[in-house]
Amino acid sequence: MSFDVEFQNLTFTYEGADQPAVKDINLTVSPGEIILITGPAGSGKTTLCCCINGLVPHFHEGDLIGDVLVREHNTRRSRVGGLASLVGMVFQDPESQLVTSSVADEVAFGPENFGVPREEINQRVADALRATRLEGYDEREPHTLSGGEQQACVIAAVYAMQPEIYVMDEPLANLDPEGKAKVLRVVVELAKQRGKTLVLVEHALEEVLPLVDRVIVLDKGQIVRDGPVEEILEAGDIPFVFTRPPVVRLGEKYGLTPLPLSSQDFYEKFQTCYNVGNIQWEDSSQKDFKVGMQVIKIEDISFSYNKNPNNQREVLRNISLSVGAGEMVAILGRNGSGKTTLVRHIIGLLQPDAGKVVVLNKDVALTPTYELARDVGFCFQNPNHQIVSFNVRDEIIFGLKAHGVDPGEFDSRIQESLEFVNMLDYIDAEVFDLGIGQKKRITLASVLSLRPKILIVDEPTTGQDPRMVLEIFEIIKRLNDSGTTVLIITHQIDYAAAYAKRAVVLDEGRIKFDGPIKDLLVDQDLMQASALEMPQITRLASLMSRHGIPPWLVTMEALDQAIGKLVETSSNGH
Amino acid sequence: MAIEFQKGSSYLHRLDARTKIMMFAIATVVVVVIFDPVIMGILFLLLYWMGTKAVDRQYLNKNLRVLVVIFLTFSMFQILFFTPGNSHFLFYLVPGKQWVPVTVEGIIRGVAVFFRFFSVVLSVHLMLYSTPPVDLVLAITRRTETRELLKEVRIIVGIGIIFTVIAFLSWPDEIQNIPLGLELRVLMIALAALVLAFIFHRMLTSGLPPEMGVALTLGFATVGILSQQTQKITDAQKARGYDVQPKNVIRRVQVLTALLIPIFLATLERSQDISIAIMARGFDYNIAARTYRRQLTFTADDYIFLLIMVALLIAGMALNYLGIGNLTEQLILAWMGY
Repeated sequence: MSFDVEFQNLTFTYEGADQPAVKDINLTVSPGEIILITGPAGSGKTTLCCCINGLVPHFHEGDLIGDVLVREHNTRRSRVGGLASLVGMVFQDPESQLVTSSVADEVAFGPENFGVPREEINQRVADALRATRLEGYDEREPHTLSGGEQQACVIAAVYAMQPEIYVMDEPLANLDPEGKAKVLRVVVELAKQRGKTLVLVEHALEEVLPLVDRVIVLDKGQIVRDGPVEEILEAGDIPFVFTRPPVVRLGEKYGLTPLPLSSQDFYEKFQTCYNVGNIQWEDSSQKDFKVGMQVIKIEDISFSYNKNPNNQREVLRNISLSVGAGEMVAILGRNGSGKTTLVRHIIGLLQPDAGKVVVLNKDVALTPTYELARDVGFCFQNPNHQIVSFNVRDEIIFGLKAHGVDPGEFDSRIQESLEFVNMLDYIDAEVFDLGIGQKKRITLASVLSLRPKILIVDEPTTGQDPRMVLEIFEIIKRLNDSGTTVLIITHQIDYAAAYAKRAVVLDEGRIKFDGPIKDLLVDQDLMQASALEMPQITRLASLMSRHGIPPWLVTMEALDQAIGKLVETSSNGH
Repeated sequence: MAIEFQKGSSYLHRLDARTKIMMFAIATVVVVVIFDPVIMGILFLLLYWMGTKAVDRQYLNKNLRVLVVIFLTFSMFQILFFTPGNSHFLFYLVPGKQWVPVTVEGIIRGVAVFFRFFSVVLSVHLMLYSTPPVDLVLAITRRTETRELLKEVRIIVGIGIIFTVIAFLSWPDEIQNIPLGLELRVLMIALAALVLAFIFHRMLTSGLPPEMGVALTLGFATVGILSQQTQKITDAQKARGYDVQPKNVIRRVQVLTALLIPIFLATLERSQDISIAIMARGFDYNIAARTYRRQLTFTADDYIFLLIMVALLIAGMALNYLGIGNLTEQLILAWMGY
């Protein structure tokens, strides 16, 4: 048999579900291929991955029609443990896959299960840690590592099992840009060097597309496109299902062939096609922004989790920050730079070792958290930590009750807040039935129902598809327009730049930058030093800045307009 | 407060996990055998000294201090109520009625009891402080590694010799009644000791089935993560305006139930995640043939340490055999003129 994986008319319906999760899948994967599977949330990508290593149908039960062959093994008749020696699987959330108490044990876990002799296990652990650049981490506890390191550790653990096929289900979703770059490099190096098959599920097309051979687009459980990268890109977008990276779309619009995959690529091709001059760009967006009275005032605070003076490591160092009413501030920085720690001070979940925090004229040190919560809404990263009820309506009522809102107002408040997040249809839904993006919006709604003056959102978009990310930012934007002060922690600097005016960059517990986000975008050294990823559009804009295009553009529309103007100046265009 | 593994590279840390389990087991027997408060005190101080080498003294004390009151109560009971019949009276605690006598023997044994309990607890603490839980679990898990027959025979004979020595030290009257020659009786004892040693060795080396061992290991790794998660959930509820520590008791129960749902869900989710993760990494490949990266090896230090422990045990028995198990008591009584 010449295929690594073969799907034959596969349809799978989860137990208790009405609709099949994947439908009529026919797919063959040849040895050594690097494949990207993409598609919106709920399109069956994860199910497809689980079919390859036998978790479907052996762990996730349901109705399986058709067959999946991995090499010569039919997954229906193989055990997951047996298939694991052929198929190495990496899931989205690294933390949930780390099961032991040291990195070396973690990496050794797979080979131990296979009964590999001790000397060889040690050799494999050393090799895997070297390949994933985790040398010297042997005895570290996995849950103390950063997100990127954790994911690298999971990949090392799979590498040590020496599988023939790597299946990675959104390995980049929970990582900061620095972690993303690191993990992606590791993943592709691994597959290419060992000549193994790699099936990669991702939303982050910009990063992944240049590295893969073949793209498969899934929608509603079915394959809607399947082919080599160029072919798929030339076939265009599918609304709400497959949106190509902006550079590709711009490339198409200006007739660059073959379609460019990176900003550099675009610019080189653009220069050979057009002989352009210069444009004048008036900054129309530079409106005076009125900042209201001060609502958050942080004065010179320092904080460390370990109060033992011998090995104190300060997470926050001398931070001063003030936020005015109606502002929207993006808080940026790499994982572990103190972003979450900082915002926790605003609502009194943490008290500073030194300094003072004043919110709406209340000293946080003297006001209990539940009182501050009346005016400050806080949305946590993981919605599961916040939800306490089984039903959407109860969930919102819970908050209203805790704050002693008049029960007569309940209905109108529930309506209002659910409408705000476009979830009115789900008013009586069970929380268990909702996807992660919907849960996130429910937690937003339950916070909004209290009509907070200040909203703090901690990474609202991790692990969501581009459409959901856009929706959440739209909701937050609308809220901000209606006068709520918003502090948002995010890694999505492109969205942050499109919606927020002000950015605060944290690095090792210090404020490295505080000012208009545009100024941040043009400061490439600072961006790099703080592990912030330049959005693709901005990278292109800064490449083209010598033609008068402003280097801080972040939206495709704006850049498109600018390039359009530029092309008009072209003396010998196509 | 938690008694958990402390990283380090002390003598105790370097000892094999099995040695430390044996240390605990033998210490438990030793404290039963030894009656003398002074010897008991010295043993306790020795253990404590080893402890201070292994972990921070303050940490060590903090966990022992809690127990002082409890063990003092035990000593008190020993002094007041468990006095041998022919003891030497000092005075009565309730003079008029002549109730609750205080005796010389009572006080001496009370002191011994105090050190006795402390030594056992300390030996458990030392074991837990200086051994990663993973190693402890591995030590009690059944492993399918190729056994070296010669080595095993040697270990069994070694244990057999220890049992034989113990048997001679006890030398009960019943053995005199067996109508056989002395050589045959000795041979019988030696054989019995060997059989016992074989069973003992088998018991020690069989241990938990591997799937249980792995489950325990995973459990140890999860405790920290779950407590972290609980903290996050409590914070999330606080931030929603929930007073998580109200003064009203009924409210407090309500609050707890509200926290329980997300904590319960998070725990469920975690266990689901773990089962997926270990399945995907081949846990059910062939559990019986599982191998282990961590290796437990006896070094010279381990043998010497065990030898000392066994010597202590035998010495304690020998003291009793020679009738000087209560040397301190005898000396004090002699000094008092009895």
